[in-house]
Amino acid sequence: MHGAKQTLVICESCGKLHRWPAISSRAVAHCIRCEAVLGRGHRVGVQTLLALTLAALFVFLAAQLTEVASIRLRGPAQVATFPMAVAATWREGERIVAVLSGLTAIVAPALFIALRLYVLVPLAAGRVPPGFRACMRWLHYTSRWNMVEVLTVAAVVSIVRLADLAEAQPGPALYALGVLALLLAAIESAGLKHLWREVP
Amino acid sequence: MSSGALLATTRPSLLGCDCCGLVSAVPATQAGDAGDARDTCACPRCGHALHARKPDSLQRTWAYLIASVVAYVPANFLPMLSSSSGFQTGSHTLLGGIVELWQSDAWGLAIIVFIASIAVPLAKIGALALLAWSVRRAPRWRQLDRARLFRMIETVGHWSMLDVYVVVLLSAMVQFGSVASVRPEAGLLAFAAVVVLTMLAAQSFDSRLIWPDPETHSKAL
Repeated sequence: MHGAKQTLVICESCGKLHRWPAISSRAVAHCIRCEAVLGRGHRVGVQTLLALTLAALFVFLAAQLTEVASIRLRGPAQVATFPMAVAATWREGERIVAVLSGLTAIVAPALFIALRLYVLVPLAAGRVPPGFRACMRWLHYTSRWNMVEVLTVAAVVSIVRLADLAEAQPGPALYALGVLALLLAAIESAGLKHLWREVP
Repeated sequence: MSSGALLATTRPSLLGCDCCGLVSAVPATQAGDAGDARDTCACPRCGHALHARKPDSLQRTWAYLIASVVAYVPANFLPMLSSSSGFQTGSHTLLGGIVELWQSDAWGLAIIVFIASIAVPLAKIGALALLAWSVRRAPRWRQLDRARLFRMIETVGHWSMLDVYVVVLLSAMVQFGSVASVRPEAGLLAFAAVVVLTMLAAQSFDSRLIWPDPETHSKAL
């Protein structure tokens, strides 16, 4: 369909036009002018990507629904999940911060996973889902605002800061967050652009 | 048409899509020159808007940068959180939290938080100002280094959200009524604003402005 144009690539960082090279599977192509990454040689197939994304879905649910830590200070232990923390921030009156935290650490990763699943499940079966173009655009727009890896480090920092005040035990969500951050990074590095080749 | 012929004839109006990567030939009148790219067209494959340059890139970058400098002052001087335990109550600023981590021997974490919440926002504001300034005033100056600097800003930018999440988590974890509690304070909002505004400033800056020269197509192709 696109013929000769498909062998061309324009560097997103500087606008330099390149002919897409035949690179080996481990190689990374860099722009010859600004050295930005043009593309990677590895081909993570649709099936692999789907498997990773499904794994990310379960880990995401564990990270959001279980507790980040349980805290004991004379009496019964108190548990806190991340959505509870966002809700608490809202109740304390810092509503903008609560919305921002919810968007970047709950909504953005949820979209990251859900939109990919919506696209990948039909593609794995050889079909193109309705609204494919819009989904791919939204995946592109929302990826930058996903900050799960930052939340992971923040959870560690907050547990350490609590250690002075009370007895704090890391909860399952802390480990889930760590795994989720790694999974999302792996999925992200596979990129989205090659999925367009699956579309007839 | 061979790709060589395509390159030779329609070169100035080939635009790459940021979203799907497709290179499409755009009529030269619509491709838009630097600065004026309102007259845009959409990528034929994914529908994302195609620009030779992001519209009003420098103006928007400066606007977000100035706003982030304004928010930076209260972010550092207002308390981020207040805690009460027993009869003691106290409020903690950004720097205070780092000092506490340091004093409880968590040096590694203290350094991470210092980098994420003090060093990164300042470096980001400074670096973006330098980049935006040099587009007009020093267009040929160390272009490759400027391109690398911009990529670094984009990579580390969102790590400043670290302290926002820490306060959000702490205020939910420490809810023991009169015995001990932690509440978010006004500085948190200012700090979150700095993070978001610097991210928007970086997103508005078009790194293609670092390379104003019409490209030579000798070695690359």
